[in-house]
Amino acid sequence: MNVNCKDYQHQITLLLYNELDERTRGELELHLRECGVCKDAFESERAMHSVLAEDTPSWDVPSDLLLESRKALADALDRMENKRSWWRMPAFSVVFTPMRLLESAALITMGLALGVYVSNQQARVAPPVALNSSANSQSPAIPRNGTISNLQVINADPSTGQVELAGEVSQPLRFHGKIEDDTVRQLLFSALRDANNPGSRLKAVEVLSQKPTDESIEEALINALVYDDDPGVRMRAVEGLKTFANEQHVRAAFMHTLQNDENAGIRIAAIDALLARNAKDPELAQKLTEATKKDDNPYIRTKVLQFVGSTK
Amino acid sequence: MEAILKRTAQRVHESEDEKLLIEQAQNGDREAFEQLVRRHDRDILRLAFHMLGNREEAREVFQETFLKAYRSLGRFRFESSFYTWIYRIATNVSLDHLRKRQTLKEEISYESDTEMHPDRPALKDTLAATTYYSNPERRLYGKEVGQKIQDALKTLSEKERLVFELRHYQGLRLKMIGEIMGSTEETAKNYLFRATQKLRAYLTNV
Ligand SMILES: [Zn+2]
Repeated sequence: MNVNCKDYQHQITLLLYNELDERTRGELELHLRECGVCKDAFESERAMHSVLAEDTPSWDVPSDLLLESRKALADALDRMENKRSWWRMPAFSVVFTPMRLLESAALITMGLALGVYVSNQQARVAPPVALNSSANSQSPAIPRNGTISNLQVINADPSTGQVELAGEVSQPLRFHGKIEDDTVRQLLFSALRDANNPGSRLKAVEVLSQKPTDESIEEALINALVYDDDPGVRMRAVEGLKTFANEQHVRAAFMHTLQNDENAGIRIAAIDALLARNAKDPELAQKLTEATKKDDNPYIRTKVLQFVGSTK
Repeated sequence: MEAILKRTAQRVHESEDEKLLIEQAQNGDREAFEQLVRRHDRDILRLAFHMLGNREEAREVFQETFLKAYRSLGRFRFESSFYTWIYRIATNVSLDHLRKRQTLKEEISYESDTEMHPDRPALKDTLAATTYYSNPERRLYGKEVGQKIQDALKTLSEKERLVFELRHYQGLRLKMIGEIMGSTEETAKNYLFRATQKLRAYLTNV
């Protein structure tokens, strides 16, 4: 073992984490061929990595924990926002180019709220409106058929005359297109997130669940199933997701429903969907037993018992 | 889900797009904030879950991290990446929780030592039993190896544990870990070296 071996052993750690540059790596590899002590250290460290790798699957975060955590966070944000509701910008603004704070003499920030009409899957988008005002222009171009609401003065500096405002501009929107179209899908996702409009959420989930062929649609349906307050929307989401009940994330969402949804009809739809697509799975049987042990619905308990029996 | 997760991972470094989202969120767009959250929340939850070892505290750390981010996003100045920034918050919150738990344990063992509260040792056991390794999910996998690794990880100091977690399980580069810790890549390297030496001794010789 020569005087540099301590350094080389530092480098072994870095080598196994792929953190060495090409030159150092080459030198180390050369040294490992010549030095038994460092070679042993290398083998021992590699053995440690294999031991750690054996246990890697169990380090995954359970899917239902992610769903629970997201839901709890969304609720906490809602509570914060209710205290200062003006702060909330319309849910639609993200779909389109957003308003930005403009670094001009007068800063005016506006959110664009778009009313979405999801009727026969046909709607047409009006161009988004970016409002800004510089020292030269007279006034921002507010759309002729738009209305402004929730206008707030955020900052006003009397010495320079600079003003910063925020508010919402609403204007009607119509858009025609197929569900495969990205814009249509984004609009439907927005409609699905529109907390104030359960009717439009129901329409959106209906349309989306007809053709849940795309992962983004699947994700939107899972979110609707887990987060939506409206049982009609959640039921529709189960419908749309049931053909995928053998996929891990959809299974996790259904398990979440079984454990948390107050509506027995939705729980029943979830258990039926799960059992229809997952035959004789002992691991699922165990999880279902766990998830439904406090369920007061006899149908669900019977179904789970039958399923558990079928796996034995 | 796998595909969705991969897509999420790919998006992590799409920084231009992310910059726009951050600006929207800074201007009060909650939807943009939630999109930012979705890009990183799985990573943050995994970090919290590994560091704290149980669901309840993992959920608390997760929530505290993103609420802190939400409140202080206005002060984010693009000096680091958002990813680094949110990880820095999450590691601080995680370490706080670990320290709080340590204090709690010390209080409990003190009380049980005084034999004033014969029921307290049971509470101490409960705390220990809520760790990750007693979760039902874990029992499905090789318990012995898992237990051994858990024991090995317990031999690490707080910082060694953190750096090892970030490099080994979260897959972050040492340079970024240095930034997250408000320190240097060199420091992160040293912690990683010390951590792997301890783990190596424990896992390959015991
Ligand atoms: Zn050597």
